[in-house]
Amino acid sequence: MNLFEYQAKELFREAGIPVPQSRLITGTEDIAQAAKSLPLPWMLKAQVLQGGRGKANLIRKAADLQQAQREASDLFASPTGVRTVLVEEIVPFTRELYVSVTVDPVEAKILVLASSSGGVEVETLSQSAPEKLLSLHLEPGKKLLPFQARNLAYGLGLEGKSAISCSTVLVKLFELCAGADAELAEINPLFVTSEGEVIAGDGKIIIDDNAVFRQPRFQMTRDHFSSEVEYAAAQEGIPYLQFDGDISLMCAGAGLTTTVFDLIHDEGSSVANYLEFGGPNYRKAVRAMELCLANPSKVILIVTFGTIARADVMAQGIVDAVRQLKPDRPVVTCIRGTNEEEAFAVLRTAGLEPIFDTEEAVKKAVALTRGEGQV
Amino acid sequence: MSIFIDASTRVLVQGITGNEGSFWTSHMIEMGTEVVAGVTPGKEGQRVHGVPVFHTVRRALEHHGADAAMLFVPPRFTKDAVFEALDSGIRKIVTVADGIPLHEALEIRSAAKACNALVIGGNTSGVISPGKAMMGMFPYWIKRVYAPGRIGVMTRSGSLTNEIASMVVAAGFGISTLVGVGGDSVPGTRFAEVMKLFESDPETDALVIIGELGGTMEEEAAELIASGGCTKPAAAFLGGRTAPEGKRMGHAGAITSGGKGSVREKVAALRDAGVLVAERPSQVGECLKAIMRKGAAGYAEN
Repeated sequence: MNLFEYQAKELFREAGIPVPQSRLITGTEDIAQAAKSLPLPWMLKAQVLQGGRGKANLIRKAADLQQAQREASDLFASPTGVRTVLVEEIVPFTRELYVSVTVDPVEAKILVLASSSGGVEVETLSQSAPEKLLSLHLEPGKKLLPFQARNLAYGLGLEGKSAISCSTVLVKLFELCAGADAELAEINPLFVTSEGEVIAGDGKIIIDDNAVFRQPRFQMTRDHFSSEVEYAAAQEGIPYLQFDGDISLMCAGAGLTTTVFDLIHDEGSSVANYLEFGGPNYRKAVRAMELCLANPSKVILIVTFGTIARADVMAQGIVDAVRQLKPDRPVVTCIRGTNEEEAFAVLRTAGLEPIFDTEEAVKKAVALTRGEGQV
Repeated sequence: MSIFIDASTRVLVQGITGNEGSFWTSHMIEMGTEVVAGVTPGKEGQRVHGVPVFHTVRRALEHHGADAAMLFVPPRFTKDAVFEALDSGIRKIVTVADGIPLHEALEIRSAAKACNALVIGGNTSGVISPGKAMMGMFPYWIKRVYAPGRIGVMTRSGSLTNEIASMVVAAGFGISTLVGVGGDSVPGTRFAEVMKLFESDPETDALVIIGELGGTMEEEAAELIASGGCTKPAAAFLGGRTAPEGKRMGHAGAITSGGKGSVREKVAALRDAGVLVAERPSQVGECLKAIMRKGAAGYAEN
């Protein structure tokens, strides 16, 4: 689960990592109120989960109130769907660093990364200038000790107060990562001021989805989803992704889904949405199809190859859904696995011709989007 | 024997009295797996499909020797169960749990590495050697998917495995062992480590790698082949070539971000190492036939 910048900074503040002063606004009308307690000039930062906000023009500078109103109203009108904006004081800095804590799945260790050149280009750094990237591996469960943090900070070329401030932040960020069950806790940029202070300019925290159960303060809200349908599906525990193509996809399992996704694109068509029909959802056919029908797609394509999720149960669910919802678009079924023979028989009772082969099913669905081969 | 289990491997089942544990234990036994004992704290004295249940792994091992532990334990208790098995000296462990917290998965892999144990999973169907034994949850009764033979299969995804394995069998081959390393971002065992087992397995002639976007396991596999650590011919199929950046499709492993972990890079690495990569599931059979005819060397030039 990705946290928004303002949420990451809340955690930083609680952990004792300095952050700029800020106010969170949900509409242009909040600007005047914010100005009462936060002196201008400001940065206005759209709270969206996508990276590269600077390049996407989702971060604006405002010198005075009028400009702030204008920029805020522009951000809220963005087609990206901006629901909140973080209004922040501008921090004068002399240097920008990069620090993060993440996991190394190969070594099975916690990985601390630090770089003397923070900012937007850090991703390419490991190739272009590996000497600017310092790393440290720690056994899981171990803490980052102050001396290790100092080694990193002085290793970045920091001196005096800034080296001490930076190593303190590293220790705190490391503890935050473990305590919040984070996959990633990153500060980029970490500003260094002329007084030797360090301040988190931006923050990215990803909470491990498998540990959200013990991190009750992090819950997905409407803001995390790009559409009402995605949000509604998530409320019912159904993984759902919104796209804007022609074929609604009900699939079981990530691997098969991504493969069907590829095959659809190979055939020159596109996906309207992906709905995870496997795992605990295989008995929710009616609701699943209802969510697909909420899309302006042309065809519903169902592909499964189940183990525990029985094919005949899925097929019966699909048949019930078709009878109940009377879909206004063709439904193509490719349901295989345990009890597949029974599944085929069940589908035929509802006039759904079962297809055995994934690629054939995709071809059929794509043809139907073009008005070919109507049943 | 097969790389991980066969009919003579003595398997201990942790979490045997739960619905899943009980159901799949009966299938493991039916398939020919030697299940010697079960463990569920508080349930000692019970029997599940004739298998005696003990409170702890230690107590189970006082009465029965075991070579491997099969875990049907909920994700949040999996670390404890893995450490319990390791503490009792068991060095082959399979966990099917879907949802192990990342930092605990890290501890599990770290502990396994420290004592040279193999922990397969989580978020996997497990390990199966068709016709011999299984540890996990495979629909071995679908004969067009789980036929015995001499092809070693490694996979990250359950659903795609059935699809691809059916292509292997349709092409006239069978499977020596299929290892699901699992869909989590920190699996206990990685492709390259499984490949080393296949490399020294006299019952495996060639490998099929079923990969997907995200992570670096396919690249590590390619590296191992390129460095001569695995000389058996290999074919591969990878899902997720066209997946949009940053969108999660079902599980933690299947994510691509900032160009890292993209299928394009993985396919290039595998092809450079001489692996024949199928563009579509239906080409996997042809790829296998081709590598079996020519051997991996013939493709290294392409």
